[in-house]
Amino acid sequence: MIDRRPQGIYPPTEEMLAEPVPAEVQERQADSLTKVWKTKTGIRYLMSVNNSEIGKWYSLTCFGFMLLAGILALLVRVQLAYPDMQFLDADRFNQFFTMHGTAMMFLFAVPLFEAMAILLLPAFLGARDMPFPRLSSFGYWSFLIGGIFVMGSVLFDVAPNSGWFMYPPLATEAPGPGSDIWLLGLSFIEVASIAAAVELIVGVLKCRPPGMRINMMPLYAWYVLVVGGMILFAFPPLIAGDLLFELERALDWPFFDATRGGDPLLWQHLFWIFGHPEVYIVFLPSIAIAAMIVPTVAQRPIVGYSWIVLSAVGTGFLSFGLWVHHMFTTGLPNISLGFFSAASEAVVIPTGIQIFVFVATLMVGRVKISLPMLWIAGALAIFTAGGLTGVMIAIAPFDWQVHDTYFIVAHLHYTLFGGMVLPVFAGIYYFHPFFMKTYLSEKAGKWAFWLIFGGFNLTFLPMHLTGLKGMPRRVYTYPGDLGWNWLNLISTVGAFIIAVGFLIFLIDLLRPGKRKLDHRNPWRAGTLEWTDTLTGEDWGVRSIPYITSRYPLWDQPKLVERMDAGRYYLPDAPEGLRETMVTSVIDARPVQVQRVTGDAWVTLWAAVFTGAAFILPTFHMYKPAIVAGAFAIVSILYWLWTSTARKPEKEMKDVGLGLSLPTYASGASAVGWWAMWITMLGDSTAFASLIFGFFFYWTARPDFPPMGADHADGWLVALTTGAILLSWALTVGARELNRRGHVNPARLCLVAGPVLAGVAIWLLTLSVLGLSPSTHTYPATVCAIVIWVVAHAGLGILMQLYCLAGSLFGKLDPDHDADLWNVTLFWHFHVLTVLVATAVIGLAPRIL
Amino acid sequence: MIRSLAGSGRRLVAMALMMALAGCAGRQSALSPAGEDASWLHDLWIVMLVGAVILWTALNGLFFFVTRVRPNDWPERHANRLIIGGGVIFPTVLVGTLLAYGLSMMPHMRADGDGLVVKVRAEEWWWRVEYWPAGATAPIVTANEIRLPTGQRTELLLDANKYIHSFWVPALGGKMDMFPGRETRMTLRPETPGVYRGQCAEFCGPSHALMAFEAVILTPGDFAAWLEAEAAPAAPPATPEAQRGQTLFRDEGCGACHAVRGTEFDGLVGPDLTHLASRQSLGAGIMEVTREDLTDWIAHTRDIKPEVAMPAYDWLEAAELADLAAYLEGLK
Amino acid sequence: MTDPKTQTGSRQDEFEFFEESNALWWITLAPTTWAVHFVLAYGGTAVWCAKFGETQGVTVARLSIAGLTVLALGFIGWLGWRSVRRWKPRQNDMEDLSHPEGRHEFLGHAAFLLCIISAIGVVYVAMPALFITTCR
Repeated sequence: MIDRRPQGIYPPTEEMLAEPVPAEVQERQADSLTKVWKTKTGIRYLMSVNNSEIGKWYSLTCFGFMLLAGILALLVRVQLAYPDMQFLDADRFNQFFTMHGTAMMFLFAVPLFEAMAILLLPAFLGARDMPFPRLSSFGYWSFLIGGIFVMGSVLFDVAPNSGWFMYPPLATEAPGPGSDIWLLGLSFIEVASIAAAVELIVGVLKCRPPGMRINMMPLYAWYVLVVGGMILFAFPPLIAGDLLFELERALDWPFFDATRGGDPLLWQHLFWIFGHPEVYIVFLPSIAIAAMIVPTVAQRPIVGYSWIVLSAVGTGFLSFGLWVHHMFTTGLPNISLGFFSAASEAVVIPTGIQIFVFVATLMVGRVKISLPMLWIAGALAIFTAGGLTGVMIAIAPFDWQVHDTYFIVAHLHYTLFGGMVLPVFAGIYYFHPFFMKTYLSEKAGKWAFWLIFGGFNLTFLPMHLTGLKGMPRRVYTYPGDLGWNWLNLISTVGAFIIAVGFLIFLIDLLRPGKRKLDHRNPWRAGTLEWTDTLTGEDWGVRSIPYITSRYPLWDQPKLVERMDAGRYYLPDAPEGLRETMVTSVIDARPVQVQRVTGDAWVTLWAAVFTGAAFILPTFHMYKPAIVAGAFAIVSILYWLWTSTARKPEKEMKDVGLGLSLPTYASGASAVGWWAMWITMLGDSTAFASLIFGFFFYWTARPDFPPMGADHADGWLVALTTGAILLSWALTVGARELNRRGHVNPARLCLVAGPVLAGVAIWLLTLSVLGLSPSTHTYPATVCAIVIWVVAHAGLGILMQLYCLAGSLFGKLDPDHDADLWNVTLFWHFHVLTVLVATAVIGLAPRIL
Repeated sequence: MIRSLAGSGRRLVAMALMMALAGCAGRQSALSPAGEDASWLHDLWIVMLVGAVILWTALNGLFFFVTRVRPNDWPERHANRLIIGGGVIFPTVLVGTLLAYGLSMMPHMRADGDGLVVKVRAEEWWWRVEYWPAGATAPIVTANEIRLPTGQRTELLLDANKYIHSFWVPALGGKMDMFPGRETRMTLRPETPGVYRGQCAEFCGPSHALMAFEAVILTPGDFAAWLEAEAAPAAPPATPEAQRGQTLFRDEGCGACHAVRGTEFDGLVGPDLTHLASRQSLGAGIMEVTREDLTDWIAHTRDIKPEVAMPAYDWLEAAELADLAAYLEGLK
Repeated sequence: MTDPKTQTGSRQDEFEFFEESNALWWITLAPTTWAVHFVLAYGGTAVWCAKFGETQGVTVARLSIAGLTVLALGFIGWLGWRSVRRWKPRQNDMEDLSHPEGRHEFLGHAAFLLCIISAIGVVYVAMPALFITTCR
């Protein structure tokens, strides 16, 4: 066994830090860093995986989609300007409002969080890159392909038209490919979101600079941590819902068809278990931007750091207890509605604390109003109004009156503009000097603000009244005698004023000749991103600093100078590899040098093939889809094989300041293991949602399971469990044997494991062959669970074989067994899944 | 769009007039309650509105004050007090009280009915309505209009044919969704006689915007009289025109989908037409029961209402359409 | 981790790793308690009302929620007390929590605040059982 404990001195002493670095050494180190991190030019620019490039592409793409979705909103407003208007027909109107909501949520708000986090987080943490740059790249290309596919459907008049929450049976029975485009396109994007969440969580927990203990993290990192966690628990239920939905569309399995034992309410539950946390997934990162700006504006540390942490974590949790407030009018028992009404009111408190912390910080600081602050002030005015209407509609009886009316349209736009759009604008004005090295125009910024702010209120304030006067949402026309005419006309005029504001911003953003950055830290901020040089180098930070304060630029006077001199960690790249530092979770003690992956085409190919595998089934091209899926798997395997958990050229490396760190890690100290853990948490949530579906039907439907129904064959199910348990034991055995140097027995385990798992797949499939899932929801649900288990068992086999190949071809040996640890972790989760699944399909129907 | 903009000048004047007349007293407005539930909710709204305006002004005022009026020299202990007092204690008490107010209101809105049960089934895109007075063994069937008596709580049992819809008369109370294969229930207690408008509130496809109905609130005496008339079979055609219309109705197969009680027409697919002419509206709250609108509707159903099940009888001559309309106009 | 300590420090390192990961989970315990209370109250009532509501009313469910609430508040109270001990408010003012060495005290403080919010949440979620007496 190799001793991979860090060697040498930590923490560094003041004398060590004060020692100058010779000029020629500095120059040589800077040169080697430049060479290693250089961004490619020409067509090869698209190979880039560096967070600053991916982050920029990602953000711009989000803004592009937002503009398109905004244009759709304008067209919708034109149609509603007058009663009985004939500008759009019903179907086109329905496509447009559906795509407006869908694009704003899935192609703008959520991905923009990912985009900005990828762009900013490494800079906040003084890291060179995210821990898995190629994953960011894969996520971006997936998002771009999926987004173009979904958005493009508008041009061909086949866009989804059942509203952004796609309620069955309207959406399941909608003719044409619209609903499939929505489902498959967005599932693909959701997978990309989960990938981003995994990366961001690992980034915050493991890639902080030495000394940045958990109570020293910039507040943004706390929010990213919370939001990443929320994505893991919020998106998977929708993915499970998408699976059921698509099974109904493609194979006529009646999950939401009441005539065959289904229930459309299950979709509403699954959608909103995703949908309400999603609102906070959108809101918290934007508030996080405000939490970075407010201390700068106040020129003092935030008052009540713990309070912000409390409110972020508290909101994250409470937001999962709100989903039924979108379903207050579905006739659930009053007492059930009451629980959700109560939780919806409880979430007011952490949200309010957040705002009061900002006000308190500004109160004790010396405030100088700047352009970003103007946007924050506007955001506060709008968000508090949206929050207060939120308190109103959380009261269930009041919601019975205003649900699905323009009052809700007004409320949600107030919360999203105030809670997301305006803080993001504040962030763009604030961070533009950091990532573009130029200033946006102050004058244009003020014009844009007042037009957007004024236009917004002109559009949406009257809508509260429109709703109370009885106008439902999503009507493409309305009669002229109900007192809604003026209100609608005002809203339409307001919408165009907002559009002018956006146009001014866009022109300012894209115009050449903006004023160059003249100072590294133009806002006199205290956080690490402002150590970036005036030109912004590809390597990010010259050396990774040792941090002793929440606002290092304010409290560590020689920090910038020493970072520039390469006095801190990893100032050099002698091996020609891209590296960043891995530290411990709470105390941020250095534990490892992580070799991060470099530019490559493979992520783009992987995204293209994965995209094709999702998109082709929309047009019922199943065979090409399977081929594309196979290519996707091959690309991903190639990518993993060639660039993850490679054996290093030497086991320990001098990172500077007398500290030497390992270059390889396996098990719980490797970032890959954390990524697997986090991914499987999300995966298990999706599985739990399927199980929830089973018990939901049992509760809601008297005929679940129907009298005399066929069940999965009990014996075969039991045998499956046994086979999977054995396969799992063999995987664990392989890890332990290999670790102790018994390479050949370990290889044998890795041969027997897949065989047993294959047998399990065969047995489980056999156990449900007699069921006909299109006749009733019960067999359909059983078969859906089986599909889930079989797909995961297949993945498990692939992983076992990957390790076997690793062992045979020298990628994996007793000292370098990270892959085997990660695969075992997958199998731990898988064996739990199988135990639950077989209990549910094998035992539950015989007990209930 | 051109058609619409051409008349916009005239329309603007008309709209201004309408605004002045309507004020807040729209026929479909939660702000002009005509029932017990809607009144409670109106009171709740006023309380919350006043509270919200005060809170919004206070918070944004404070923000303005600390950033613009006195941008510095506040000691830190004030800040901590502000977070604890303003962020925790005050909202906990206030929101908790509001929650209690809201919760205490809920059971009343689903209280037992006083006897009359109205079953409404949402179809694509119209309303099938059955009245079940206390003790009734068979329903009185009608469509696209709800009549309710004042001073008593009527129980509404709701479901849907194919898609999800939502039953909503803002002047009477909150809304309730209608599902295929799942019955939902609500009760309403109207107070002020009059004609109000209800509309489907859950997005239900192409003609979602065109799925409304009239809610006619009557005194108990008037209601009883109306219900008795409604239970009676249809009046036979009284004029030669109407008789020709009835023949056409038969020949064109209208009776396969529509029922007219007292005749051989017993279709169940479309709305019951027995007393069509006594209703307030046509086509589920979108037109009037006049000769002009009837002919227009029969000849252009799908232009008027996208994807509606009834085909457009555009091959009929104008005279034939007039006869049909005359027959239907006679179904008082 | 300075050189002479490296060897003896390994066990301590492992202990610290254990402590570390525990500390981060610790702050989520109170909101998790809220979540469990919430899920049991909602899930329990939903199943009860669907299966037994028509014949037996909702009294059993309401009483169970009352019991559950007392349990949840008790547990949160205990968590809060432990968190205060970790925070040590008498020895540390807010300023100390913003120093690197104050991370355990900081986590105690954050956990304590989350206990307060979770307790409020639990009380709120129990309120419907007070006001609503049927399965309708």
